[in-house]
Amino acid sequence: MSNTPNIQTIFFYILTKGLFATLALTALGLLIGFAIGLLLALMRVYGPTEIGWFASGYEKLFRGIPVLVLIFIFSFGIPGLFSYLEPLERPIAGVILALGLRSGAYQSQIFRGAILSVNPGQMEAARAIGMNGFQSFRHIVFPQAIRLAVPSWSNEYAVVIKDSSFAYGVGIIEMTRVAFDIAANFPLLMPLSMAIVAIIYLIFTYPVTKLFGERQTKKLKDFGMGGG
Amino acid sequence: MDKNVLNVVNVWKAYDELEVLKGISFELAKREVKVIFGPSGSGKSTLLRCINMLTPPDKGEIYLSGQNLTAPGVDLNAMRAKIGMVFQHFNLFSHLKAIDNVSVGLRRVKGFKKEEARAKALDALHQVKMTEWAEHYPAQLSGGQQQRVGIARALAMKPDLILFDEPTSALDPELIGEVLQVMLDLAKAGTTMVVVTHEMGFARAVASEMIFIDQGVVVERGTAEHFFVSPESERVKHFLRQINILYGHHEELLKEINED
Amino acid sequence: MISQSLPKELLDFLRVLEFWDHILIGLAKTMWLYVWALLFGFFLGLLLALLRQYGGRILSRIATGYVEIVRGTPLLVQLLFIYFLPFSINSFLEAQGLPFIPIGRWSFYVTSELFGRTMTMVFLDHITLMGILTLGLNSAAYQAEYFRGAVMSISSGQLEAAQSIGMSRRSGILHIVLPQALRRVIPAWSNEAAYLPKYTVVVFYIGLTELFAQAHYIISQTFLTLSVYIVVSLIFLVIITLISKSLDILYKRTAIPGL
Repeated sequence: MSNTPNIQTIFFYILTKGLFATLALTALGLLIGFAIGLLLALMRVYGPTEIGWFASGYEKLFRGIPVLVLIFIFSFGIPGLFSYLEPLERPIAGVILALGLRSGAYQSQIFRGAILSVNPGQMEAARAIGMNGFQSFRHIVFPQAIRLAVPSWSNEYAVVIKDSSFAYGVGIIEMTRVAFDIAANFPLLMPLSMAIVAIIYLIFTYPVTKLFGERQTKKLKDFGMGGG
Repeated sequence: MDKNVLNVVNVWKAYDELEVLKGISFELAKREVKVIFGPSGSGKSTLLRCINMLTPPDKGEIYLSGQNLTAPGVDLNAMRAKIGMVFQHFNLFSHLKAIDNVSVGLRRVKGFKKEEARAKALDALHQVKMTEWAEHYPAQLSGGQQQRVGIARALAMKPDLILFDEPTSALDPELIGEVLQVMLDLAKAGTTMVVVTHEMGFARAVASEMIFIDQGVVVERGTAEHFFVSPESERVKHFLRQINILYGHHEELLKEINED
Repeated sequence: MISQSLPKELLDFLRVLEFWDHILIGLAKTMWLYVWALLFGFFLGLLLALLRQYGGRILSRIATGYVEIVRGTPLLVQLLFIYFLPFSINSFLEAQGLPFIPIGRWSFYVTSELFGRTMTMVFLDHITLMGILTLGLNSAAYQAEYFRGAVMSISSGQLEAAQSIGMSRRSGILHIVLPQALRRVIPAWSNEAAYLPKYTVVVFYIGLTELFAQAHYIISQTFLTLSVYIVVSLIFLVIITLISKSLDILYKRTAIPGL
């Protein structure tokens, strides 16, 4: 590109070259996190105490290690991991795994809180009409828990999509990387490019958190569930 | 120059579309005890908050010893220091001990030094019989004790008058007596008071005038005798009948207290 | 030699620990960034929360806007934005022929020797400043949310009572609402305070030599990638746990009955 990029070019480039990767990383990370989180939550709520410790330990582990470190660990740190992939593809898997494992720790808390918030009477009533434990959970508790989890979960979505930006340094062309590359030769434009990509991120986070997010008074109860 | 401590002149107040106060007026002379009563939602609490300008009236004036509080440019903080307020839900400062609750106004508003403020605060606590609880936090006190500290907090500022906003409504029945006793003592000692309450026994004992407010207007006013012997308006009669069912038993309690 | 009877993994760790001076400096830098960012974030966050709750329409909207924008965009993007802003401004000024801001050539540091190793800790230079600034501005937005929740949970009667004895609104907010809000916010705030060290690693991307960057140096010297990462991860876990527990103790010590 010999011409100096302008606002429209930057915007266009970021969207076409980076958005897909960002969304893909986010979606897959959240998916893995969902599976892990749900599993761990069930283990902690319904499982024996020892299993609960394992789940609790997992949470502490993946909440305490910075995402960036996790990304590097799974992209470059484990020889033989993802060896069936091309070397250039491995960071993608690494990032998704890192995001997923981390998100699992947070979603575990979210679901655990949501399940515990469902009135225990619901489970009793389900049993009373003859449903077994699994059925009661699947048809009665789970649907209600999911609804309760929505505000915290929308926050988690926002966190993961922001964390996807850390993939910037491992060779994945997601939005932040594109924003940087475009302006790399024109330092004058870098803040502008960053501002534009920031707006795009904002478009993907603000409406969601505003629509599905927690109402103010709820925030007081969710100590330890948000941010972090 | 007006000798009245308080002049409420034609006060109107609306919240959004709803008109809560529609032209309330009354005066309060020194040492008078005015009892304001009426059905819930009639605007009584709002009226008190208009008097100390926590929520200024939309129309009308409030005069404190002749000074117009509703005029622009008035130092409301200084004026509020001369008006005491006792809240239905006590509103004690939860992070401060009882003694500090009472002395904080003396230190921060009136500028007294720590020791002097503390001494004056202890005096006020003595008046409400709470000196032995001075070092306790509000959460460690019963409702009645908290309210008494609230009264001490108002007293310590040596205000020209004290506003009481349903001071016993949030109390468990057995705790009401101790607070009413304090209020009775204050009234008998000549404190200028405006009391919003359902406690008719209290009113009977010390009110110089009673004002019945319903739907934002003064419906009837007169001495306690007037109300209990021959009230005029149907609404007043209806109201008195209702609260007698609820509060009738306090009559006995107050007789007891008065005989002490 | 005992090293021959030890498992390979343990040997690897020991080799990594030979670089203890780099680890120490990296850790010191990380903590330095953390503490300043936390402090910055505390005061700014508190201000933002108070503005949102008690400021007028305009100030309250600005504060809300700031919080929503910072919380809705990635930390990395904010970092790159702030980092390149001075360069951008300089390019612009240069093009106009105006004098520009001197960047990057200054540094406040300390060098000392410990157990035979020389270590240099840079307290403040251009990138450190940019790092602290970004982390602080970012943390402020998140802390503001916690403070706002705490302030809102203080009943309005408290401020009313303060005003009723003649305190100004400002005095009431400062001396009655704020002390209570600050005590109430400790559990949630401890969360932010304990996890903030994690976020300091982002400055690795602008070349600050904090713990993660030092890790890469050690990797370049030993090629023990996984062991190094594990050591770093463990250090973070330990720090976070320590901070968390300390704040817990602090909370219990300053508890007031009923708050």
